[in-house]
Amino acid sequence: MNHPILSLQGITKEFRSKERTFTALKNVSLSVEKGEYLAITGKSGSGKSTLLNMITGIDHPTNGTVQVNGIAIGGLNESKLAKWRGQNIGIVFQFFQLIPTLTIRENVLLAMEFVDVIPKANRSKRVNELLELVGIASHANKMPSALSGGEQQRAAIARALANNPEIIVADEPTGNLDSKTADSINSIFSSLAHSGKTVIVVTHEKNSALKYKRIVNLLDGEIENQNPLN
Amino acid sequence: MKFKKTFSDLLVNPKRTFLVVFALILGIWGVGTVFVSNFILTKDLNTNYQRTRPAQVIFHSAKFDELNLQQFIDLPEVETAELRDFSLHRIEVYPNVWIPLWLFGVEDFEKINVAQVFQETGNKIPEAGTLLVERDGKKVSNIDTGKEPRIRVGGKILTVKVSGICFDPAQAPATQDAFIYAYTDMKTYSQITGLPNNQRLIVRLNNVHNEADVKKISDILANELDAKGITISSVEIPRFNEHPHQWQLNTLLFLIGTIGLLAFIMGAVLVSQLMKSVMASQVRQIGILKAIGGTQRQVFQIYVAMLVLMGLSAGVVAVPLSVASGNAFSYFVAGKLNFNILTTTLPHSVYAGLMAASVLLPILLSFSILLKGTRISVKEALSDYGISQNVAQREFGFLKKLSLSNSLILAIRNSLRNSKRLTITILAMALGVAIFSTGFNVRQSLWNLLSGLKNEMRYDVQVALNNPISKEDAMQWFKSLDNVKEVETWVGGRGEIQSKVISTDKGAGIIALPCDTKLLQLRINKGRWISKSADFKVVLNQQAMAVYKNPALGSTLTLTVGNKNVNAKLVGVTEQFERAKIYVDLEQFDAIFNPDHLVNTLIFVARENDYSKVIELKKEIEKSISKSDLHVLYVMSQAERVKIIYDHLNIILTSIVLLSFLVLVVSAIGMASATGINIMERTREIGVMRAIGATPKKIYSLFVMEGMITSWLSIVFGLLISWPLSKLAAVFFGNLMLGKEAILQSAFSLSGFLITFAVTILFGWMASRIPAKSAIDVPTHKALSYE
Repeated sequence: MNHPILSLQGITKEFRSKERTFTALKNVSLSVEKGEYLAITGKSGSGKSTLLNMITGIDHPTNGTVQVNGIAIGGLNESKLAKWRGQNIGIVFQFFQLIPTLTIRENVLLAMEFVDVIPKANRSKRVNELLELVGIASHANKMPSALSGGEQQRAAIARALANNPEIIVADEPTGNLDSKTADSINSIFSSLAHSGKTVIVVTHEKNSALKYKRIVNLLDGEIENQNPLN
Repeated sequence: MKFKKTFSDLLVNPKRTFLVVFALILGIWGVGTVFVSNFILTKDLNTNYQRTRPAQVIFHSAKFDELNLQQFIDLPEVETAELRDFSLHRIEVYPNVWIPLWLFGVEDFEKINVAQVFQETGNKIPEAGTLLVERDGKKVSNIDTGKEPRIRVGGKILTVKVSGICFDPAQAPATQDAFIYAYTDMKTYSQITGLPNNQRLIVRLNNVHNEADVKKISDILANELDAKGITISSVEIPRFNEHPHQWQLNTLLFLIGTIGLLAFIMGAVLVSQLMKSVMASQVRQIGILKAIGGTQRQVFQIYVAMLVLMGLSAGVVAVPLSVASGNAFSYFVAGKLNFNILTTTLPHSVYAGLMAASVLLPILLSFSILLKGTRISVKEALSDYGISQNVAQREFGFLKKLSLSNSLILAIRNSLRNSKRLTITILAMALGVAIFSTGFNVRQSLWNLLSGLKNEMRYDVQVALNNPISKEDAMQWFKSLDNVKEVETWVGGRGEIQSKVISTDKGAGIIALPCDTKLLQLRINKGRWISKSADFKVVLNQQAMAVYKNPALGSTLTLTVGNKNVNAKLVGVTEQFERAKIYVDLEQFDAIFNPDHLVNTLIFVARENDYSKVIELKKEIEKSISKSDLHVLYVMSQAERVKIIYDHLNIILTSIVLLSFLVLVVSAIGMASATGINIMERTREIGVMRAIGATPKKIYSLFVMEGMITSWLSIVFGLLISWPLSKLAAVFFGNLMLGKEAILQSAFSLSGFLITFAVTILFGWMASRIPAKSAIDVPTHKALSYE
């Protein structure tokens, strides 16, 4: 039996304010195998993004443990967590979030520089390969503002792959794109999953979710159902 | 309800609100301090001076006994007049330490109506045989009420009791000029000095508005007096309605004015930049407000109300601060210039003005930003999804050619991403650097001037006599002095120069000294020093050149001393911190003007010339003088001469460095705020960087690097600006402090450069460190969701 690459056990996340406590995730447990192509769906406010933040270590659970590749990330301090994240998880955001003052090439290189796992000599070549992979090699030296939304999202995917992480996490990656462009982005994720990457995508678009191997549907902070499509 | 939104918006981001209020406080505080101290100082120095009812013209005559004073006062041109005798003597301020004494004989202390003095302690009217001493003299002596200092009048020494301390704000401060001012009745004056009374008439005039008016009426009055047989020997016209040290106040007011203006500009820039950032983060909310029916005017009102609230909060802190610092500075200056602060409470209009400035300035400064921000359409506003896209995104291709790390490229590009803000930040910081560096350079110029004095005058003690006497008579008293290596005797007096093209009645001091003297090595600006030759040669200092309208080098001038003339060739021009002086060879001078070879200046060179030994020698000289019948004008050591000049400049030197340091601090705060805004605007970007693997340390380094880039650019620009600024400042301060003819060479202060460099880097580091530290304290998930 394969060990899960990602394991969430009894995750509860509460947001406290003076007036009330809001529980965004209620005792959620989830296991993801290496190479899985997984969609997390749910209505707005169901806890999708909070769950994603738990997986990526961007936020910490109130209760429960998150293990990635056997490492309990709750025990890592901010510095170690950042480095770990850069090495193990590539994140793709809805609004691309490219650094506007760096070219596309430099955006990808910056991620490598932060984490420092790709040897310096190989970085330039790797950037070319990644940009080739996502189909925007000709835009390498352009600033993000010169690219369309779809192209920026491809660049963001290249950046997410910069340090060759095993897990790719995307938060509504097509939410800000037209359907044709969204399809092309989804096909990149699909091919990444085929190549052995574990891809977790948060989406609220039910139709696009059908393309995933497994769908985890959240409702009011709980996993309503997990539906393996294959 | 909309104003509740205003209030809650302020509390949503308290750090940003604090920054805006802080920027406002800085601006208002700077302007307020200048406003308050300007208000107090200009008013109070003038009031102090004017309430003495200073004389506008002073007539000298030996025949005032024949004057019917009441008849003179009744003349339509005359407001009032009094006889006030005056002579210069010496007073012992500490054992064997003597300084000049300005002694005034007052006609009637009860009815004193011109050049008044005010009682401080002891008697208001001195008892017969006693003196009143001006209060500032206490700071340079151990003289006080009840003491009996020794006074040297001509060749004799007397002891006179001090019966009271008075205050005369019309005189130059004793602390700076090393004088003691004393006042006594006419009879005692005559007893002390042995001089006749009624030699000097001090007058206030009617209907005079400037110095020209005074001169015109003085001529009329002098003629009238002459016509009555009262021959006027000389007429003095003091600067019209101006305290003797008004120049110092002008310099200080100029300095604080500059600081206030800079603080204001800084505050203004910060407020407008911060409001821009506030408006950028409120775009979506503005869209929502408009979508639910709010008009542009209503939305505008919300943000104006926000500014009013912040302005009021800033005013509540800044106005009392301004009043306190304005008052403190005024008291500091008043102490230095010896006048009283009379303004105990500021008029309500000052407070109201400052509060109004606190409220109105931010609105004024942010008006266009608010207008632009609230003009945005609903569609545009609601489609806004972040602030990071709203920046200039230029490649700066040259960076690619350099082999730099991506972090450094990112830091450079980030520094350049908001070029307007960067320009303003660098300009403000560069201005701070430039002023700070210029402060040191001007200080260096003044130091050079002072150390030049030490090099030029290579003697240790100078004894100046009132009248020329034979060398033997002068020297006989100093034969037993131990620590004397060499003594030279010079002579001098007042002379006039007339050339073919110009004629002037202004005299200049003549110094006749051996042309090969080693004891005076003045810096030659043009031509050469005097030498032995058959024909008469002169060297003028630059001040004398200005008085005689710059005669050509090599031209022949007519030198008049007393009633004798000689044709003299101008062979050189010297640079000096002195009044107008003409230097001639002693032998040539004696041959024509001084056939008896009399001397009036004794120049002593000490064998051991460290400070304490020279002061000891001076005391020994004073002891010898006290046993003599010499009529001494002054005894001065070079060290003291330098100290007196230094004391005159010290207040300015200290203020220059202190205030320029403050400019740098304000600039650094400005930079910290600008970095703070940068970080605030890029909070989400910070979240992204952390999400893709940047450790807090790397993000911290990135922002510190950005700060360092700004600091380095500021240093480079600041030093570039300081170059011409130092030259201008040297001319400006030279003229302001040392007089129009004085020379102040611009200089470069290496220590100043190093301090400026170190302080700017330190401030730049601190200015980026503090906001950078706060940047890494924001949790990643909050940074990513930041709007």
